Amino acid sequence: MSLQPEKRTLILLRHSMMPQNAQYNSATMIDYQDQPILEVTGLNIFYGSFQAVRDVSFAVKPGEIFGLLGPNGAGKTSTLSAIEGLLKPQSGRIMVAGFDSARNPLHVRAVLGVQLQATSFQSELTVLEILQLYAGIYGVPMSKERISGIMKDISLEGAESRRFGQLSGGQQQRVSLVIAIIHEPRLVLLDEPTTGLDPQSRRKLWERMEAMREKGHGLLLTTHSMEEAESVCDRIGIVDHGRIIAIDTPQALIEKHRDDPEVISASRRGKITLEDVFIGLTGRSIRS
Amino acid sequence: MQITIPATSTVMKSLLRADLITQWRNRRSLILILLVPVIVLISWKGIVDKMGGPFALSNCITIGLVAIGLMGYSNSVARDREKAVFQRLRVAPLPSWTIMASRLIVQLAMVLLVTIAVFVGGYYFDKITISPTGYVFSFLAALIGGALYLSLGQVIVGLIRNPETVNSTSRLVYFVFIMVGMFGELGVLGKEIGTAVHWSPYGTVKTILSASMEPATWTSTTTWALLMTILYTIVLAGIGIRKFQWNAR
Ligand SMILES: Nc1ncnc2c1ncn2[C@@H]1O[C@H](COP(=O)(O)OP(=O)(O)OP(=O)(O)O)[C@@H](O)[C@H]1O
Ligand SMILES: [Mg+2]
Repeated sequence: MSLQPEKRTLILLRHSMMPQNAQYNSATMIDYQDQPILEVTGLNIFYGSFQAVRDVSFAVKPGEIFGLLGPNGAGKTSTLSAIEGLLKPQSGRIMVAGFDSARNPLHVRAVLGVQLQATSFQSELTVLEILQLYAGIYGVPMSKERISGIMKDISLEGAESRRFGQLSGGQQQRVSLVIAIIHEPRLVLLDEPTTGLDPQSRRKLWERMEAMREKGHGLLLTTHSMEEAESVCDRIGIVDHGRIIAIDTPQALIEKHRDDPEVISASRRGKITLEDVFIGLTGRSIRS
Repeated sequence: MQITIPATSTVMKSLLRADLITQWRNRRSLILILLVPVIVLISWKGIVDKMGGPFALSNCITIGLVAIGLMGYSNSVARDREKAVFQRLRVAPLPSWTIMASRLIVQLAMVLLVTIAVFVGGYYFDKITISPTGYVFSFLAALIGGALYLSLGQVIVGLIRNPETVNSTSRLVYFVFIMVGMFGELGVLGKEIGTAVHWSPYGTVKTILSASMEPATWTSTTTWALLMTILYTIVLAGIGIRKFQWNAR
């Protein structure tokens, strides 16, 4: 997907307004915006002798929301873990903002914002303390105004001193999302960010993701929600048994597969949806 | 393209602050670590008269050190690993060793705190005082002994993933250490066991601690105990670090 001229101006404007602590400068941004922010080539991941990811290749551009869809155990989290540097792939190349993840892991992590699938913060710490911890780790100054701005943004005003462990699942999710983007990362990885959120929070999150896209950030998310994939993702990749079996815009995928017999037999009300395509392509059986 | 990676010192400061707060809020482990040694000290009034102040103090400090490594450190590491706390930190631009270094520094601070608590308790309840050099050497010995039990805790989290299993294992080892250690040293369990305990990780730490309190009593046997303590630490830390996995699965 290439950026339209309006979006380009927006990115430049945005980056000239970036604070000193931003992890990148505005001048170099122009050269990169048509280059993928993430490029995964020939990724293979094994756990012992079990191969979880097979020859996966895809790219995410700045200003694009890319969704990874796939049944349980398809290899989505494993793929993200390799990009994050949490596990070492047996082979393949991962480039983030021009940095090779094997050679410059710290540079890659400085450009990455991550929300993991699991909880991930000490339950004894308060929301404020978690914000301060990660602001320190990413080198982002935290003023009082900035903190109250963040708290308002995630609708947790006045909850600064609540322990993370005392928050509800959805509230924890919102904290973990805001930590993921605390340093304005150029590439954001979200592993099932809307699982467990109420419809209000989900809509809010979509809006936030779209706002990030407008600013030129690249987003890679995994989801089990076809509705989410259709309404926010620019492109999706369908993963099954560790392999990417289809990659395109949601609309194009539906168009391309609407006449497949498996897809037609999966459709429930005569109208072909993305879910029908998904089931048609990945099969009906539930994964072990 | 220019990318700023925060300085390691800034990262360490943030980590330390969070780890200190977490330790402070963990009241149960705090009480277990600080209070149990002092309670033992109080209940040992008779033994102080018979075996001397340094014997009682060194035993109580050792109990505290064992609790730090086994109950405090290993459990918090196992729990945070399960909740992906480490994984979240590791996807930030920091070297992985800073995560563990910060935790260990907090634990070493706990070692000093336990030592102080036992000294204060000893003075307050049993009027035990030792020479100024004795205090200085004791703190050093406590740090060395603390390192041994932290590496023992590291072995447990290195070999066991499940936090519940880590919890029950460390409790069991803690209990065995304290019981066999205390009674073995008192000679209740017979001579052979007494000797074995003397050269066990419990005995060597106790030996260097009690000799540190009275530097004049330091002998070649104490030096051997010190060397054994260091050897235990290196071996256990080696195993514990090599086997350690950051992820919960
Ligand atoms: N640490 C591990 N050790 C062994 N096998 C693993 C490990 N992590 C994942 N797997 C296996 O690898 C496969 C892919 O797992 P992964 O977590 O990437 O799937 P996923 O697509 O994220 O699934 P879900 O939608 O359920 O989150 C699964 O079969 C899983 O059992
Ligand atoms: Mg997953």
